[in-house]
Amino acid sequence: MSDIYDLVKRYPWLPSLKTSYSDIASKNPLDFINEIFTSDKSNDIKRRVLTIFNDAFSNIEQLSEYELDENNIYVYLILKIILYIINNKILSNRIANIYSKTTYNELNKENEYNLYYIYQDLNLEVLYDEQPTIYKKFVVKDQQEIFKTNFKISYLNYLKLASNLKDEYRKLVNNAVRQGYVYIKPENINRLLQEHVRMKFLTQNNEISTELDKFKEKLFEIQEFKALYDTITAIWESKKEEFEYTIDITFKEGKDISETFPPCIKEILSKAQEGQNLIHTERLFILWFLNSLKYPEDKIINVFSTLPDFNREQTAYQVKYAMKKGYTPYSCKSLKSYSLCFAKEYKDVLCLEGYFSRLQEVQKDISHPLKYIEVKQYRDSKKLKKTKNQTLDKK
Amino acid sequence: MMSFEYLKRRFKEYYKDNREKIPLVNLFNQREFGFIPWDQQIRMIRHMGFANRENLIQHLINNGPRHVYSSGSLYINPENQDMKKKGYQGCDLIVDIDVDHFYTPCKEDHDIWYCKECGKNGKGMVEKCPKCGKLKLKKLTWICEECLDVAKKEIIKLIYNFLIPDFNIDIEKIKIAFSGHRGYHLKIEDNNLRALSSDERREIIDYITGEGISFEILGLRKMGNNIFGFSTETIGWSQKINRKIEEILKMSSIEIETLLSDKRKFNLNQNFIENFLNYKNNFLNIIKSNNLNNWTLVSSTLNTWYNFLEPIVDQIGIEVDVPVSIDIHRLIRYPGSLHGKTGFKVQELNPNDLDDYNPLDEQVEKLDPIVFVSKVQTIQKLEIIESNVPATKIKGESFGPYKLGDTIEVPHHIAVFLLCKGVAKSV
Repeated sequence: MSDIYDLVKRYPWLPSLKTSYSDIASKNPLDFINEIFTSDKSNDIKRRVLTIFNDAFSNIEQLSEYELDENNIYVYLILKIILYIINNKILSNRIANIYSKTTYNELNKENEYNLYYIYQDLNLEVLYDEQPTIYKKFVVKDQQEIFKTNFKISYLNYLKLASNLKDEYRKLVNNAVRQGYVYIKPENINRLLQEHVRMKFLTQNNEISTELDKFKEKLFEIQEFKALYDTITAIWESKKEEFEYTIDITFKEGKDISETFPPCIKEILSKAQEGQNLIHTERLFILWFLNSLKYPEDKIINVFSTLPDFNREQTAYQVKYAMKKGYTPYSCKSLKSYSLCFAKEYKDVLCLEGYFSRLQEVQKDISHPLKYIEVKQYRDSKKLKKTKNQTLDKK
Repeated sequence: MMSFEYLKRRFKEYYKDNREKIPLVNLFNQREFGFIPWDQQIRMIRHMGFANRENLIQHLINNGPRHVYSSGSLYINPENQDMKKKGYQGCDLIVDIDVDHFYTPCKEDHDIWYCKECGKNGKGMVEKCPKCGKLKLKKLTWICEECLDVAKKEIIKLIYNFLIPDFNIDIEKIKIAFSGHRGYHLKIEDNNLRALSSDERREIIDYITGEGISFEILGLRKMGNNIFGFSTETIGWSQKINRKIEEILKMSSIEIETLLSDKRKFNLNQNFIENFLNYKNNFLNIIKSNNLNNWTLVSSTLNTWYNFLEPIVDQIGIEVDVPVSIDIHRLIRYPGSLHGKTGFKVQELNPNDLDDYNPLDEQVEKLDPIVFVSKVQTIQKLEIIESNVPATKIKGESFGPYKLGDTIEVPHHIAVFLLCKGVAKSV
């Protein structure tokens, strides 16, 4: 079993950083940077920070190096400071994704004792039972697949960690809940921690820009730090076009129909633009949706190009497969069940109130995102016709 | 208008006579209060706070409001008009079960609708006019022991099938109230639950309603020509589903056939029902066994099983008014206050009171929500102002049905009820 000092070296986002390494954690950021960049650790830390940024810009899913020594703590803290002052959502998302994925893989290598202490350190109500509990069993003919675990997590902690993920595997209703606990394998808790770590890098920077500028100015007085910052921003400048790809949604040449998209689609596209990680259901939905509108393959692939784990070859294969199968995008009912409906957040009148069908003479609900587009386009065409008629009348 | 003045006077009297009996909700002075007065135009006056119970009671005596609400949320400044400045501190978990939201057979007898577009009218629970398809319906919804009993059973299911066994909720922290009209509220006063976000509350509600359930994730799969279902040795929803199937399989064949062909419930085709009945005994053995789960029926597909399992989920899940539980700024009826649509009291209950509880004919005096029963037999004369008014059975006695223009003489509590319902006026 590792002691808490070792665990914090491996996972510097653990709350025990504050107590176990109080000399580091209690320093103000300026003093901290000053000390690090004037110490003999400086070169190694700079190299590691730079490697992480390079990895994040290279569309790989795992950090190429992750050393579990004390410098790992410094690297983590410096990453957070740099992201804070760069204040760029796309960049923060890329670092957050790659770092948290690496964390997940590292956690999965830990033994159960260490995991238990990590969970305790995070103040999670996770219990370890000596005897494993069978919580799910698949029996197919003579074969049995038995899911058992020694771990259970309080459903309140589970919800805190999982409610952001919104995929159907992590929905409480599809999990084993009993007596206030969710029976869960440690790798699934680790997946939740991956999200917890990811969010650590995405703290909103609410500081007013003058304050931020002052802070930056002071930091830049430390030449070594300024040099590292400049190198990172220079790489970003050269790469950003690849990532800041704006989604050019044109349906039929020269005609932009993105304005007719329903809020559910707009929300996913905006997340993709910011480089946020899309969950599986969001990816499927956007793919099936654009495919239903007969978007060209390359345009669909480009939508995914901003995602942290983008791999053009794999995406192309999946897009081709979906195009061949011709799946229909989710209905509004399914989207609601996946919590992917944003009608209320966007206060979208058509989604919320529906439309009047002249043919059937009834008020109807929008039950499918494609119906939404159809109605919008119909209304737009009516508006256009009306404007044309008015122009003709004037003539 | 005359009726409003009368009802307002009666409500004021109630609050005056019962000032000691109006309960004090937990963390009273951190709650926001809201009121709907007796105006023609319905409007809510909210963002009010009271330092103590006495101030609230005085407000009720002075104004005799039609409806009284308090927040499930706790605020530092509950009276602040700006939600952002109220200083949100958390919100009780609230579940509202109201028969308005689900079908009960008795609605075919007592819920009346009228289409404003084509003039068609009828009885039962309809979303749109069955003749012209329009949504402009005027509805007169009523209550009876049967539908209130369905709502009560949902609350009992919620507590004993979900809140206690799955979420380990301390029964002492569960507060229940008969809403004074068509349902029940359940509130959990627990600091850990108060911290839940709306998204987290939705997850709990999805769990208790069965929303977003994936039969594949729970284990339903097709291998070759075989369909494999859930193993009994599981935890969570798959186990609940297996138990429900077992319960159905233990019914007589006639009962099963009636249930599975019921259009409002399973609505399954005859072919499936026949196969299901032929397979009944085998299936019962499989469902009870830990190591068997071959659910293959003749010509059954995964879709056939979805059609069977979805209504099972509906039967297990609880019919709740979802937005009430998710919205952390929602106001709910204050216990002990009067419901302006019935004149009944919002009656607080303990979970143990539920089994025998009958709001329309309650034998335990302190739990009786019908507060306008005169000690001396008094009769009040009213004129019916609605085309059709369903029969009302309260305290074991039936009144009505009535037609427009009928002049009736009814006991005081029935008069208050009909006036609150807006179907009669004083003569």
